[in-house]
Amino acid sequence: MKSIKASGIGNPIDRIEGHLKVAGKAKYASEFPVENMVYAQGVNSTIAKGKITSIDTSEAEKQNGVLAVITYKNAEKLKNYPKDMTNFSLTTVAPVFQDRQVHYYGQYIACVVAETFEQAQYACRLIKVTYEEETPDIHLDKNRGKAYKPGESADFSRGDMDAGMREADVTLEQTYTTPIEHQQPMELHAAIVNWNDGKVKMYANQQILNQATTSISETFGIPKEDVQIITPYIGGGFGSKLNVYKHITMATMASKMIGRPVQITVTRHQMFTNTGMRQFDEQEMRLGAKKDGSLTALAHHTTSHTAKNLQYFEACGNVSKMLYKTPNNAVTHRLIPLNIQCPSSMRAPGEATGSFALESAMDELAWKLKMDPIDFRIKNDTQVDMGADKPFSSRLLIECLRIGADKFGWENRKMQPGTNKKGNWLIGYGVSAASRRAPYMKTSAKVVLELNEAAVNANIKMDATDIGTGTYTIVAQTVSEYLGIPVENVKVEIGDSEFPVTPGSGGSWGAASYCNGARKACENAIAKLKKKQNITESEEIEVAELLQQNNLTTFEAEGTAEPSEEYKKHSVFSFGANFTEVWVDKDTGMYRIKRMVNVGSAGKILNPKTAYGQIIGGLTMGAGMVIAERTQVEPNYGNFITRTLADYHVPVNLDMANIDVVFLPEDDKIANEMGVKGIGELGITSVAASIANAIFNATGKRMRDLPITPEKLIEAGLEPGVA
Amino acid sequence: MDEMEKWKNGSDTDQLSKDEEKIFDEIGLNGTSRRKFLKQMSAASLSIWASSYLTSDLLASPARTLPDNPEILLNEVRVNLRVNDMVKQLALDSRTSLLDALRERLQLTGTKKGCDHGQCGACTVMVDGKRKLSCLTLAATCEDKEITTIEGLAENGNLHPMQEAFLKHDGFQCGYCTPGQICSSVALLEEAKNGEASYVTEDFKDVKTDLKLSEEEIRERMSGNICRCGAYNNIVQAFKEVHSGDDEMPTWEFATAKQMEKAKNS
Repeated sequence: MKSIKASGIGNPIDRIEGHLKVAGKAKYASEFPVENMVYAQGVNSTIAKGKITSIDTSEAEKQNGVLAVITYKNAEKLKNYPKDMTNFSLTTVAPVFQDRQVHYYGQYIACVVAETFEQAQYACRLIKVTYEEETPDIHLDKNRGKAYKPGESADFSRGDMDAGMREADVTLEQTYTTPIEHQQPMELHAAIVNWNDGKVKMYANQQILNQATTSISETFGIPKEDVQIITPYIGGGFGSKLNVYKHITMATMASKMIGRPVQITVTRHQMFTNTGMRQFDEQEMRLGAKKDGSLTALAHHTTSHTAKNLQYFEACGNVSKMLYKTPNNAVTHRLIPLNIQCPSSMRAPGEATGSFALESAMDELAWKLKMDPIDFRIKNDTQVDMGADKPFSSRLLIECLRIGADKFGWENRKMQPGTNKKGNWLIGYGVSAASRRAPYMKTSAKVVLELNEAAVNANIKMDATDIGTGTYTIVAQTVSEYLGIPVENVKVEIGDSEFPVTPGSGGSWGAASYCNGARKACENAIAKLKKKQNITESEEIEVAELLQQNNLTTFEAEGTAEPSEEYKKHSVFSFGANFTEVWVDKDTGMYRIKRMVNVGSAGKILNPKTAYGQIIGGLTMGAGMVIAERTQVEPNYGNFITRTLADYHVPVNLDMANIDVVFLPEDDKIANEMGVKGIGELGITSVAASIANAIFNATGKRMRDLPITPEKLIEAGLEPGVA
Repeated sequence: MDEMEKWKNGSDTDQLSKDEEKIFDEIGLNGTSRRKFLKQMSAASLSIWASSYLTSDLLASPARTLPDNPEILLNEVRVNLRVNDMVKQLALDSRTSLLDALRERLQLTGTKKGCDHGQCGACTVMVDGKRKLSCLTLAATCEDKEITTIEGLAENGNLHPMQEAFLKHDGFQCGYCTPGQICSSVALLEEAKNGEASYVTEDFKDVKTDLKLSEEEIRERMSGNICRCGAYNNIVQAFKEVHSGDDEMPTWEFATAKQMEKAKNS
């Protein structure tokens, strides 16, 4: 409706479910009281490649309270991966214990079910396994000959790269590497599963319910409608809860076997080997530019790894197809199968790592050209996505860069590295440009209106999830907006696979999809009520009055929103700019992020308070990529050396500093009717480059291998001069 | 799974149902305190709030009883746990951590399991007023100690000022580290009052009581609580506001039309 109430969209209201979270009352997957519940715990392989030759579970089975031990010997037959190398998608099956083979270190080989958690945990340690061990493929370098192209979308070429490089006055060829990283949301993966008469219901922290129910139903060969997942709150996902992982299968199998509800909580240790990760990427960049700064060529070649039986790759090179104007462009991705678990999506897969390479390389080339890095980026701006040959629906990257520069005080930056000093500190400023596709997908919702005296209460239902992104709040604001009722009168019910289908939370499509789905349900409700009374669509009338005129106290409507033809004709992206100031200690190589400025152009901001949370969260995880995050792989045995939060370091409070965020007012109705674009992944994109570029500006050292730890800076030699 | 049905049916209720009435009675909210409480809560969050109560510590089994099997508990110990001013007697496996006793036996699931290794802070509770990692504390060692969990911070239906501040400053996203962050923050207020030193305290010889913590001090002292969503800046703002009493302002803004014009045309 036209009358915008204070509680409608665009206002920084507190999260509507916030009371529950601060009071410890929000219920997460493992926390529902279920009678007669027992506990399951997985056991992991201690080799990376080979065959189980024997598995002795007798000692474990003898323990008090132990109800079952499941291994390949007694596991039921499940649907296995359809191919030798199966594409790891959101609906891929999750078979477990189907044979003796071990493909990576940490693979589940057994599952103990016991009356108490303590008993299950103890019994796991009593299982004795022997293996016929084979030498695993762990090294990227030793297995380069096995690199392959993972499908047609992996490569892209436009113009003539070599000709473009010859035309250039200045060129750059550099390789950037980013390590394996782990999502590690605070809430452990967990589920309470109840198999009852061929049907399965579970509390499980899955980000996308409609895809997860498909995966589970196919794994067990039961109809999709016989699988129900309930998850009102999810303690973070960052991509790790997109796919159905094998703990779900283990708990389902266990419940089926013993006929009781089973709770399983993946340990933090297991969350390194069994719930996905970002892959290691080696990115070779080739860039050429004319003296005036115009790019003549840009190539982005990524080499990474995948599992022996599952294929996944993050498309690091995609950012190089669309961010800048260049006549000649080449992008490739290659994968090497290794005995390491299958990688998966981690916040902004492709963009987070790809933008580190591209935006570092752009900074390097600007330096070679003696150009300001902001001017260099603006010089190569494009309003057309040259990779897709489509215009952008809206692109305010130049505005992001200039407004950010003013806010940050970019004019105070010293062009020459190592010249801004304060005592022992070398001070540097860095910038980077950010882009993230802003998808929007078909979404359904159901709204139930209730007239209570003169007030209307609305209840909206959809199978959406809130992983901390603010879904509850922005959906409530949307319903408030389109029904013209206060947000207090809106009840949002999400996180149940039996509600109308949405694309779930992931890939930055949540906000746009959920809110447009909710909008459509509200609009349909109003349109139907008007039609019954022959009221024209344009006439403004309160929804309460509409119900009264219809003599109704309750009314429900469903709605489905989906992308328009115009949307399909355009490239729809969110854009941003990151600015960072770092202080590097010239003797110890220790550095501190002193402040950050982020400018974001992400369409209509539904709630600046929760949107700010998304941005600072992205910046924090992006800072983590630079300051600490690295999963180290033992080169002989293939186990992760860093497998707890004490050695896989994520940013803590003291690592972060003040962050100013500027949202641009952007009206992009091509993106969708509400003009909403994703912001959850924009925040992490290119942050790493802005910090690395600031370190260069401070020290004169180019750091092309993440994370940038103090010892790497010392090794680079912090003596005066420019590398 | 009856509870699932109960929970779902519960969440369909807009008005206070009989069960919800019962909840309010059970948590001692009636008359004025209930009206005050209801005023604080929006209708929307009330119904979510009440529905989660329906299947939590009050109406479901308040303490999870194990099947009637004398051999089921290894090294059984009986412990009187004094949690949030209530005493509960539990028969526990001696290996049970305080965290698991709270979550699995008392249904006080506000205290979160984040790593079970003392590395993330999500399980932080207060034991005798000091913040403590409940995952590294054996429940059997807590006899007669005063345990305060996130569920015990609100008084008479009023959220603790720290809980209010986290809500106002959006000091969380997914909410999973939040109970630990808040328990840490509440205990930290006391640490500052007592003049306890930290890693970044500049002069150990000259530590006064009633410390006014700098931002650096707050960040250092809150670094034992990981927030993977990255809400640190908002957490700092929430703490500062309660600690100093001064309002903290948001650090986001919208670009003005003038800024947009200038950026486009310069």
